[in-house]
Amino acid sequence: MVNFKEDIRIGFYVCHCGHNIAAMVDCPEVAKYVATLPNVVLSRDYKYMCSDPGQELIQMDIREHKLNRVVVASCSPLLHEHTFRSATEAGGLNPFFFHMVNIREHNSWVHTDRKEATEKAKGLSQAAVMRVAKHKSLDVKRVPVNPEALVVGGGIAGITAAMALAKAGKKVYLVEREPSIGGHMAKFDKTFPTLDCAACILTPKMSEVGSHPNITLWSYSEVTKVDGYVGNYTVQVKRKARYIDEDLCTGCQDCITQCVFKEPKFEDLFNEGLGKRKPVYIPFPQATPQIVLIDPEVCLNFKRGIKPGQEPVVSDKCKKTCVEACGEKNAIDFTQKDELEEIKVGTIIVATGFKTFEAERLPQYGYGIYPNVYTALEVERLVNASGPTGGDVILRDGKEPKSIGIIHCVGSRDKKTHVWCSRVCCMYSLKLAHLLKEHTGAEIYNFYIDMRTPGKGYEEFYNQLLDEGNHFIRGRVGEVTDWAVTKEEEGKLVIRVEDTLAGVVRRIPVDMVVLATGLEPQKDAQDVRRLFNMSCGSEGFFLERHPKLAPVNTFNDGVYIAGCCQGPRDIPDTVAQAGAAAAEALALIDTGYVEQEPNTAYILADCCGCKSCIPLCPYTAITYDETTLKAVINEALCKGCGTCVGSCPSGSIVQNLFEDDEIFSEIEGVLAFK
Amino acid sequence: MMKMVRTIKYESDRVPGFGKEVMSVPGCEQLKSCIQCGTCSGVCPLSVYMDYSPRQVMELTRSDFKNEVLRSHTIWLCASCYACTVECPREIRITDIMYELKQRAIKERVYPPRFPIPVLAREFTDMVKKNGRITEMVLVMKLFLKTSWLAGMKNWRMGLDLMKTGRLSLVTEKIKARGDIARMLDTVDAKKEN
Repeated sequence: MVNFKEDIRIGFYVCHCGHNIAAMVDCPEVAKYVATLPNVVLSRDYKYMCSDPGQELIQMDIREHKLNRVVVASCSPLLHEHTFRSATEAGGLNPFFFHMVNIREHNSWVHTDRKEATEKAKGLSQAAVMRVAKHKSLDVKRVPVNPEALVVGGGIAGITAAMALAKAGKKVYLVEREPSIGGHMAKFDKTFPTLDCAACILTPKMSEVGSHPNITLWSYSEVTKVDGYVGNYTVQVKRKARYIDEDLCTGCQDCITQCVFKEPKFEDLFNEGLGKRKPVYIPFPQATPQIVLIDPEVCLNFKRGIKPGQEPVVSDKCKKTCVEACGEKNAIDFTQKDELEEIKVGTIIVATGFKTFEAERLPQYGYGIYPNVYTALEVERLVNASGPTGGDVILRDGKEPKSIGIIHCVGSRDKKTHVWCSRVCCMYSLKLAHLLKEHTGAEIYNFYIDMRTPGKGYEEFYNQLLDEGNHFIRGRVGEVTDWAVTKEEEGKLVIRVEDTLAGVVRRIPVDMVVLATGLEPQKDAQDVRRLFNMSCGSEGFFLERHPKLAPVNTFNDGVYIAGCCQGPRDIPDTVAQAGAAAAEALALIDTGYVEQEPNTAYILADCCGCKSCIPLCPYTAITYDETTLKAVINEALCKGCGTCVGSCPSGSIVQNLFEDDEIFSEIEGVLAFK
Repeated sequence: MMKMVRTIKYESDRVPGFGKEVMSVPGCEQLKSCIQCGTCSGVCPLSVYMDYSPRQVMELTRSDFKNEVLRSHTIWLCASCYACTVECPREIRITDIMYELKQRAIKERVYPPRFPIPVLAREFTDMVKKNGRITEMVLVMKLFLKTSWLAGMKNWRMGLDLMKTGRLSLVTEKIKARGDIARMLDTVDAKKEN
């Protein structure tokens, strides 16, 4: 047995946590056992230690019984270590004279034998009691928080978050990969269920972001590197060459009209490839910033046949009528190169959004095979007044549809593609059904598995669509084919489906098929996850710290998430979440500092300067001091992982809260229990 | 004159435990997760002739309506093209479940009288057990004798053509180790019984 010093006075508390612990662990029995251990002055069991009376009990006991160590056996330290450290401090002790034992997640929740679980709780408590006797008084370090923030992604989530921070007086960098902010919402025609025009409600927000003095908007840019820690991040941003000087371009677009290509010829990605654009272009009329860009892959002034990833080479073979048109503004610069900028921020909000499911993956629905099969996003552009057809629903074969089938759950609720429900497809399908009916007067058939309309005003919208005389057929479509069996099916796309409510298999001929494609993580979500040191769920969306109580926090302090990068959601939810992310960032910025757990490592005087710890540190916190010939640990960078401690050949590195005698006492405590 | 049929189902119409029993057969477990989307019926080339659609068979099975399922035409119409199994979003092996239901119907002899498919299945396995191989000519004759003479007569021309091209042999084909194959099949049967 280890000899305890005379003056150690330990108070031990075991928490019932309602039935969570008490149902599997005999708490009074544990308290009784711990009371017999050396140096334990007091041992209690209590229903809820985290409650106010529970915390007051600790404070009172410290004063009355002159305790100088506290141990609580309850839940995970992730949940309540902070609570009990504060209670210990309020009782007049250094908070690090407290130690916590997890007998819930590590014990009562995972065991089924009450007797054995009680014995395990006793053993773990004994270990903690012996460990806490060795604890030392430690100080919490405060590190200042850089008040500037970074928002990654300029969709409606990023726009909302950036505006909230800017309005609160914080400097914000908004980095967007595409040439304009606006994201997916900018492509939508109307928004459900109120049918406000998406552009009408979004573009004022976009221009507000573009002109706000507190916001630095970097479009056509990507974050390439993130270093540092909460409150003090150093971020490298690649600003892709748009071959236009952003400061000089006034957005007059004369270069576009004067381009040597008289007619737009190249695939317009903003219009989902349904329209055409020129090599010099602006993605859409309300693009923010109002700055054109040149696509070097098709511009005549660049050499052809450059492999992807290689830098474009100027050929100087074009007449450059665009440069003439630009005139004295002189904004066009064919020699521009990608530039790397470095910024320092304290907090980061990741709002990188989603991509839609690739409909080609389900060949039975005929996308890419039959020209009149469309994805929902294409139809958004097709019904849009500024879209490729000016809002007229003209099919790829030039006809106007008289009957339209909308297939729900394409790439959702399917084990072969994505198991999740994409949440927005039912509602946007209803919206498209309404808009298509309005534009064409066609007969509209909706094919759904389950109609999911949980949201304010959503069910009412569904009722409205029923009243409008749209057909709703409950059944997942088997196939879309152009193989006609009857005369009425000739020249049409035939949808074969079981009408599960009527109990019959039907063949329904239509002119146009719309695939309600689901939402999935961005292609490079894994790279972004690594960049910001976040986690992903099994489906690939970024993982929140807690699904209910910390939905915008990540496991990396100071990095928050908002919008569809966390999971499929609609615009109202995205905006609400972006506001929450901004509030969390503001709370951190306005606190002004972060408290660092003092579990950092430090180097003793007997360091021989072998440098073996330096390359091992994952946080590059260790450097070599040439004057003293010893290694030095930067406390602000050290995260307390203990790698250097374990690797030091001379045992000259010590880690606070994990000193040798603390760990050995704990082990002895477990081993001493039989 | 309209014939009135009672269509309501009472609890006494169910055979409790039937669904669970089917779903405990290896390969049939996924039925639990069926969401009744109807993809199986939507892709089934034979659903046009079925009394219950494949989707309905799945739900009736899960809900213990043993008598309805085993007496339905659907299980016999299934041509095992596996389209439903390929397309099912819940990865339910619908074709395999159909086989399981067919086996149960044969065992309990609840198929319609003179229905050719179960007769064929029984004669086929009996012949394999006996000879280790099947002799098409004998099998076809047995099938027609036990189901419909008329159908046999109608197909005489095709039979003749097949014989001319050597596709229908009159000699009974046999393998040497007939006892081994019978033992193997008995072992499988015994395993299933348990």
